[in-house]
Amino acid sequence: MQMTVDLNRVGAKGAIAEAAEGKWGMSIDRDLCTGCQACVAACAMENNISFVGEEDAGYGRTQHWIRIERFWEGAYPNVKIAGGYQPMMCQQCGHAPCEPVCPVFATPHSDAEQLNLQVYNRCIGTRYCANNCPYQARSFNWRDYHTMPERGNMVNGKLVFPLHNQFNPDVTVRRRGVMEKCTFCIQRIHKAQDKAKSEGREVMDGEFAPACAQACPADAITFGRIDHKDSLVSQRSNEGRGVKHLEDLNTLPRVTYLKEG
Amino acid sequence: MIRKFFKWAFSPMGRIAVAIAILSLFSLAAYGLYQTQQAPEQPIQFTHKLHVGLGIQCLYCHPGALRGPSPGLPTISKCWGCHQQIAKTQTSALLKPMVEAMDKGVGFTWVPVAQVPDFVHFTHRPHVAAGLNCENCHGDMTQVTIAVNPQVMNMGWCLSCHKERAAGDKEKLTKLTDCGTCHY
Repeated sequence: MQMTVDLNRVGAKGAIAEAAEGKWGMSIDRDLCTGCQACVAACAMENNISFVGEEDAGYGRTQHWIRIERFWEGAYPNVKIAGGYQPMMCQQCGHAPCEPVCPVFATPHSDAEQLNLQVYNRCIGTRYCANNCPYQARSFNWRDYHTMPERGNMVNGKLVFPLHNQFNPDVTVRRRGVMEKCTFCIQRIHKAQDKAKSEGREVMDGEFAPACAQACPADAITFGRIDHKDSLVSQRSNEGRGVKHLEDLNTLPRVTYLKEG
Repeated sequence: MIRKFFKWAFSPMGRIAVAIAILSLFSLAAYGLYQTQQAPEQPIQFTHKLHVGLGIQCLYCHPGALRGPSPGLPTISKCWGCHQQIAKTQTSALLKPMVEAMDKGVGFTWVPVAQVPDFVHFTHRPHVAAGLNCENCHGDMTQVTIAVNPQVMNMGWCLSCHKERAAGDKEKLTKLTDCGTCHY
């Protein structure tokens, strides 16, 4: 009798997990990235990310789902950019270290989209996941930044928050005490899938992109299906310059960094 | 101090006092729960049963349900489109707020009844496309004045239908019971 193993049910390491190739993936060309931070700004706008303010930023509580890492040579002031810039975000690991440590299963693995989810209404804020993430991609809501009274304007005795008008209605505004992270703009994935389904077709390659990829002026970020061999992201990831970060941890990241030499 | 309290709590009068305290807490909680299930105050006592009885389709006033996430609540100009041709509009006491708002040009805002929390991303389009009719979730509108929810709209209620409709189709079940389908 042949045994069939449901890959999504097996939490085991190694060969079994390695067979799961994932669905959505991203490639980031570090030779093209100029470190302009357009992706960081676009991500913050798309995903209702809080501005934590000076004091909390000093505590290292900045909430960016994507950040630009810099590499340099020499000691200040004689520094020289070497190795360039590297946008870093949640790698949507196929075998994620953040997932098994959550005591309330608030960060499950999506079987349908093959992404790491963060369920805000289930999260109780233990922050285990952030401690266990080797990419440091997660950020925690230490306060209700969106409704801090000193950020509002008093209009006719009522607090008014002008920036609430620019919230993206497709993304939850996170409250205090929950963890958050890059979702690969799952709201855009759903929107594209919904549109494709209403027109009776499959989602086309390049039909949509996450906010970071859309904003990138150098087109360094490519997004698409990595299980489709002819998609642009698959071609770029497999062209030979690709590196996956911390691969030795067997996290199976879905983001490939491209770098010559 | 604590010992003194327990001594008092087990005396006859203490027992009655503790019982009253527990009962009042319980009834307060029950009242709070009851309040969440009440239809909210609307600008006009809109009679769904009359409008549906006249043969107006749901999608005439809530057209977004067919193509997007939100069906939308009609603005005063949509009401006025029909009502300006109806003589009773000017004389009816119930419709007075609408006539006044129209004269002043201010409009009014309906209060949504079927609401989901911010962390739930519900889209009408796929549900309508899957063959569900409005009354499957929103109840029979020929029976109500102001819309009321026929059931508590919670996750268990969503999932029971999702599981039922995806029975046998593993891929569909995975998609319909995935956390990321609704929560992001």
